[in-house]
Amino acid sequence: MLPPAAVFRFPWEVNSVKEGESVRTFGRFLPLFRLVCYQPDESRATLTAQHASKEHPVLVHTQFVEPFNPIIGAQYLVLGETENYEGVGVVVRARVLNCVDGVNIALLQKAVTEQRSFFTERECKQPEEFSKSLL
Amino acid sequence: MDPGEEPPSMLWGLDPIFSAFARLFVSDILQMTESTQVPGIYFYNWHPIYKVDVLGTVVYKRERDDFFCYGVDDGTGVINCLCWKSNLLKEEEDPRTSGAAHSDAALGGFNPVAELKKLRQNQQKRCRLEIGELLRVRGRVKTSRQQREIMASTFYKVDDPMMAVQIAWMMEVPQLYRQFYDKRFQLDAAGSAESSLCKATNLIKDFLKQRLVTKFRPYDVQDLLQPLIAARLQTTATEQEPVAGPSGRQQLSHLLKEVLQVLQNDGVVYRKVKSQDEVYHVTLQDKDLFIAVKDVIREDSRREKYAESGCHVLHILSAVRQRYSLNLTKAALELVLKTLECDSDIVSTSDSHYVAL
Repeated sequence: MLPPAAVFRFPWEVNSVKEGESVRTFGRFLPLFRLVCYQPDESRATLTAQHASKEHPVLVHTQFVEPFNPIIGAQYLVLGETENYEGVGVVVRARVLNCVDGVNIALLQKAVTEQRSFFTERECKQPEEFSKSLL
Repeated sequence: MDPGEEPPSMLWGLDPIFSAFARLFVSDILQMTESTQVPGIYFYNWHPIYKVDVLGTVVYKRERDDFFCYGVDDGTGVINCLCWKSNLLKEEEDPRTSGAAHSDAALGGFNPVAELKKLRQNQQKRCRLEIGELLRVRGRVKTSRQQREIMASTFYKVDDPMMAVQIAWMMEVPQLYRQFYDKRFQLDAAGSAESSLCKATNLIKDFLKQRLVTKFRPYDVQDLLQPLIAARLQTTATEQEPVAGPSGRQQLSHLLKEVLQVLQNDGVVYRKVKSQDEVYHVTLQDKDLFIAVKDVIREDSRREKYAESGCHVLHILSAVRQRYSLNLTKAALELVLKTLECDSDIVSTSDSHYVAL
């Protein structure tokens, strides 16, 4: 069985998605001296991204992608399902955790926005005609 | 899309997207309707499509003896891709060849066996993907057991450590949609203004040829174009709501003007005298012009200066202009020269020099 499609979500949006939804998001591994980091014994890692002068941490469950080589401070792309835990908040259970250090974050953001605006534009423009052509 | 609305299969090949690998979003590939006329052909927005090009992350894999099955996720959907193993991949490593390769490699120089082994290893690396790696697939869309999948004709792993390829793809695909996939393909898309000019030009040309017209005035041929304008008015009237536009009369004179310009540019007609009275001479029917051109070439070919190399086109043009008509165009002269050469009255010595026989 194929897993559901993982839609791109920005790190600052992950906390607002529905439970069980598949997401792919990106972020930087928090440096060790921060409070949250990669905890191998609990299979839990924290990614963070900066947006609008705020740090947005994303909790990642890494059980499915272990063993992996955590590079502290590097950019990672996570693909997985969201789960909601009481007291902890949203955790992404990673199916894929790729190191993409050096990625042009600004361009990636632009590409994601571009794709989203294309879809909204398409739905607005021809909701009837388009659904008719697909059905 | 109703089955009855499908474009007729005879016209599919005229849609350029039909013969291309369409870079569609996976979600659209999954939702396209299959043709009722020919299974294996799908429609996206009335475009017939049977092969696609996809880039995405592998999120599922299964390996069989003959093929790999990868689930590819491009962020909009997940689709199964059937990737057949090539013979290079299937062959088990033969201990004898590997042993030979080692001994030869030690000698240095080019070793085909070792190179082939390297090639095989490379291919294996490119074809065997793990979950999380990026895959590019091109192939036919197929529906088997009610599941849509891609039968890969080409597939390979893409090394994209900084997501440059993925980002470029994400930026490019919406553009492709806007420019091509989301535009309805219309057979008569190019047939509005441009080809009606073509049609009109051919109509006038045929008329001149059939009737051996030597000269004419615009209003003599104007009526020939009337049916074209009428047809155009009719189609616009049925397709759109009536808009304030040029009247039929204006359109007619405009079209005629364009046609005459094309004919003049081609040298089919020319105006011997530029005056109020708009008279057009048909180049090929102008006997006097032919005589004048022949005379010029014959006389000048005798002169020592031109005897060897022949007269240049521009020289002939200026001579004929002085002698016959100041308004003769180069295109018209070239048409005359071509005809004279076909009749073996003159011979070209280079692509722009002529001598008389």
